[in-house]
Amino acid sequence: MASYLEILDDDQGHELSLFCVPKHYEEDLDSVIIPNGLIKDRTERLARDIVRDMGGHHIVALCVLKGGYKFFADLMDYIKALNQNSDKSVPLTVDFIRLKSYSNDQSTNCVKVIGGDELSALSGKVSFVFIDIVETGRTMETLLALLNECNPKMVKVASLLVKRTPRSSGYRPDYIGFEVPDKFLVGYALDYNEYFRDLSHICILSDRAKEKYRV
Amino acid sequence: MTHSLVGSGRKEQGVVIEEGWPGYDLELFNYPEHYRGDIDSVLIPHGVIMNRIECLARDILEEIGHHTLMVLCVLKGGYKFCADLVDSIKAQSHSTNSKLTTRVEFIRLKSYLNDHSTEDLHIIGPEDLSMLKGKNVLIVEAIVDTGKTMKALLQHVEMFQPKAVKVAGLLVKRVPNGPGTLPDYVGFVIPNRFVVGYALDYNEYFRDLNHICVISETGKLKYKV
Repeated sequence: MASYLEILDDDQGHELSLFCVPKHYEEDLDSVIIPNGLIKDRTERLARDIVRDMGGHHIVALCVLKGGYKFFADLMDYIKALNQNSDKSVPLTVDFIRLKSYSNDQSTNCVKVIGGDELSALSGKVSFVFIDIVETGRTMETLLALLNECNPKMVKVASLLVKRTPRSSGYRPDYIGFEVPDKFLVGYALDYNEYFRDLSHICILSDRAKEKYRV
Repeated sequence: MTHSLVGSGRKEQGVVIEEGWPGYDLELFNYPEHYRGDIDSVLIPHGVIMNRIECLARDILEEIGHHTLMVLCVLKGGYKFCADLVDSIKAQSHSTNSKLTTRVEFIRLKSYLNDHSTEDLHIIGPEDLSMLKGKNVLIVEAIVDTGKTMKALLQHVEMFQPKAVKVAGLLVKRVPNGPGTLPDYVGFVIPNRFVVGYALDYNEYFRDLNHICVISETGKLKYKV
């Protein structure tokens, strides 16, 4: 069972004025729910757990863009530091994919993988997927099914966030940073219509901003 | 949700850590192996300390970050807070093209035995603090509980006729005989528990721990003098 840092449903977060937030977002956010520093500290621990568990195996790291890029970059930095400084290390190669998920009229879940090298190259290798957030879990389940078709040796998943929601399929990643409430979260690469990716803390979006940045 | 009131200053002094909150599970974080069993939980992760410091630095820069800033660091517990705070002040001042010079002086205070605050207060450090005259002074302390240290320091510093004196305290403890006034810049308001880490020690141990943590009973016995 993956351990995780639980952010409770009734957690109001921290006052914006107590943290450094870009001026252009000051009116759009309700509070800071996970400060950037806490994300980094938790990520540092995940890196240690991953290196400990994977010790030796060559892994193909698959970063799911765009939301996953910051988590991926920071996690890689910590893994590299561990690789350089300890007895155990994990040889890594890296690839980037984008997922376009859409449900058609029959409401079946379709996920298309865009970019990245040929998935067939994963055959016989350990592949590690890095993603920003798991909500219903259906996107991940579909991706995993696709990856498994390529006969990898093993597939592991690390997600920075897992949402507590009744809509969840029950799927849990192998490594989890935080378990969060079913609220509208932005920041640290989590976007709202492409906005807020340049915010380093994870914050709760205000209702006003939902309208403001609506497409 | 409340909105900040224009012109009324900060509503909340610091990040408040509630009385009953046990802290985060240690196993969710990275920490030195040699302290396994000696810590109960993580009260404030290192990253959150750094984020809060960035914000304090921003406020300090805005209010007293002009010309020369004399920083008075209270050793030993204050050294990390001071180093990180001054780094952040300098980094932010560089990016705003301000012409700020920061200078750091160090003073030592002896007032703790094991985990109790004792009566005596010795100020050890440069006898001559005349370089403070006419300047903005920022006293940097790791932790404020009774406020005795803060008061003694302020009195000591005033003798050298600085232009203005402000106090930055990373942690303010909620204690029964607490200080009448809070420091000007407060990082976190915490419960009245003995904390270690981020340069705060227990008989010289735990200074090499990044996060601010609650020491366990095992730890207290193990490192008791």
